[in-house]
Amino acid sequence: MAPLLVTSTFLPLVEAQAKARRVSPRLIVVPHPVGGLNEGELAAKIETAAAELLTLADEARGAE
Amino acid sequence: MSTEWEIAVVGGGVAGLTAARVAAEAGRRVIAYDRLSPGGQLVNLTTLHDYPEPGGSAEPWALISELVARAEAAGVTMSFDEVTRVHAGAPARLETSGGEVTAGAVVIATGLTNGRLGLPGEEALVGRGLSTCAGCDGPLYRGKAVAVVGDDEWTAEEALELAELASSVTVLVPGTPRWSPERDQRLTAADRVEVLTGAMVTGLRADGVLQGVTVRTGDGERELPVQGVFPYVGRSGPVGLVDGLPADAEKRLLTEDGVRTAVPTVFVAGDARAGAAQTLLSVVADGAAAGQAAVAALRPAGGGPAGGGLRIVDPTFGVLPDDADVEVRAGGTADWTQVALFTNSKPNATELLRGVGERLQAHWDLRDLGFASKDNASAAADKDTIDWLSQNYKMVVVAVGD
Repeated sequence: MAPLLVTSTFLPLVEAQAKARRVSPRLIVVPHPVGGLNEGELAAKIETAAAELLTLADEARGAE
Repeated sequence: MSTEWEIAVVGGGVAGLTAARVAAEAGRRVIAYDRLSPGGQLVNLTTLHDYPEPGGSAEPWALISELVARAEAAGVTMSFDEVTRVHAGAPARLETSGGEVTAGAVVIATGLTNGRLGLPGEEALVGRGLSTCAGCDGPLYRGKAVAVVGDDEWTAEEALELAELASSVTVLVPGTPRWSPERDQRLTAADRVEVLTGAMVTGLRADGVLQGVTVRTGDGERELPVQGVFPYVGRSGPVGLVDGLPADAEKRLLTEDGVRTAVPTVFVAGDARAGAAQTLLSVVADGAAAGQAAVAALRPAGGGPAGGGLRIVDPTFGVLPDDADVEVRAGGTADWTQVALFTNSKPNATELLRGVGERLQAHWDLRDLGFASKDNASAAADKDTIDWLSQNYKMVVVAVGD
């Protein structure tokens, strides 16, 4: 499994590519942008994204 | 997947997706190839200019989504195999990384290669000071001096985008600028932008990473200490892709009448065509014209559908492939203790990924995490790396976007 961390601006592109490739990736959407943020700003985004990832990862592991 | 198509489109950018959609809407079985991802050059742009109308602007992502959605709704099959050669004939034969296919008509819409200066040691500096994507790599040059090389609208836009981040932007124009007076005004008004005309880059100074460029102007040669150089010169078309098609000096394919080439069943659309205006609106028009021409080329001389009025309809036309057709490369024998991170190398993407990965590592008490990255933000992921990850890890957290 390969969860994708994608920023909100890139979400339509990722969805279009996924559709063209006939796959349904598990997406964790992070508010855009990430580039240019300082350490504190990035830490807040890590916190939010990590919470989603842990839930998603636990579910995937538990499903086997 | 079928190996016999009515129309094959090589390139999944604006021109290619438009040509493919128009042909599919005319009822033809169409396959569109793009070795990377749909969107073409749009993928590397932050903002679209002069679209949807002259003077307007838009974000590229919505347009890519729309182009893909409309093409697929029309019944276009997308393939991510690389087309390496097209042999003209009836039908044409296409050599692809997935095997040989045939098509009654072919539209070439590959666009152009990335810009290059044509200097020794250049390729080794890609991702280490040399880039062709301000939107992808610009943040890496925040507070640093950069040079942009070129003379067209794209060059000017990339320079303006970099001027928001870099400490200085020197635009090196080999001859005289071809950009519009409006962009010229914006460049003049930009605080950190200097434009040098008649400026040729004659050398690269590097020590693993770029440290400067040598520039020759009418006043002689001088060193320009820059940490980044963005070339938009030396882009070339797909000469050699199709047997026997002539090309111009930039290796773009010559056409005889609009999108038609010397080969009756091969058409060219978009930037790959010699003389094409490199604007989004003209590329859309080009793609539509090529799609229509390809459809017309399949008709017999007397008009009407092929086969004397009888048309054999493929019952699978427009039907999504079943699961067996979907390419899935599941990992080998890895278990849930084997988790990796894969970054697209965009600014802060790796830091985000590592931060999230550390939380997962602590949550699952993992001994360590695997790690891999793209060589640089604007290049495709290496297939061997993807295969290695899929074979050795149960889960790979991937950073896309920035």
